[in-house]
Amino acid sequence: MLPLSLLKTAQGHPMLVELKNGETYNGHLVNCDTWMNIHLREVICTSKDGDRFWRMPECYIRGNTIKYLRVPDEVIDKVQEETKSRTDRKPPGVGRGRGRGRDDGPGGRAKGIGRGLEEGGPKGQGGGRGRGGPGGKPGGIRGISFFTFIIFYLSNSP
Amino acid sequence: MSAGPGLESLVDQTISVITNDGRNIVGVLKGFDQATNIILDESHERVYSTKEGVQQLVLGLYIIRGDNISVVGELDEDLDSNLDLSKLRAHPLKPVIH
Repeated sequence: MLPLSLLKTAQGHPMLVELKNGETYNGHLVNCDTWMNIHLREVICTSKDGDRFWRMPECYIRGNTIKYLRVPDEVIDKVQEETKSRTDRKPPGVGRGRGRGRDDGPGGRAKGIGRGLEEGGPKGQGGGRGRGGPGGKPGGIRGISFFTFIIFYLSNSP
Repeated sequence: MSAGPGLESLVDQTISVITNDGRNIVGVLKGFDQATNIILDESHERVYSTKEGVQQLVLGLYIIRGDNISVVGELDEDLDSNLDLSKLRAHPLKPVIH
């Protein structure tokens, strides 16, 4: 799974973004692009020391200033659903038969010399790459409200 | 870790990441890309100090930007579960200086 697909899936969800300069931005993701530039709504910006706060209706953050993003746990399950439904839509047979095929290991046939009738020659091997994996994961951290942060910040703001 | 360079072999395994600002984040690698951006699930930060044991802060699901990553390492879960972090003292890492 690609980090940017996860980010795309997080659209509409609340998230926390920390910039390289230490400021954090809490808000709902409106949109993002392949450079990780992000557009947030209903934002609370917190200074590096965490002692000053600014509320803003929206903001746009250049991707390369980001240190990390914290996204709600449930978003990762949604990505898996999406990739699954995408592969389900594929007609059977697509994704096979590409690639170089495989030599038959040491002592394999010398290709193209002598014999006239080789059947097929090297064939494509391996059918597509598996996705999807174990179903549920062991509970744990999941389920802690993402809003606790925002509420904490709000209750502390002047 | 097995077979070849890259992080592919670590997907769905627990890894330990050192970031440029000197943090140590441990979590399950769910994905990565060419820029070494990383998805970490069920992640927590380990905060080291010389005064008290290692503190673990729950972080949850994280996307760490590649720019900010110094080291990615496989975590030996057996070895790790035998560690008594509360007795472990260490200096915190200094941030990377560019």
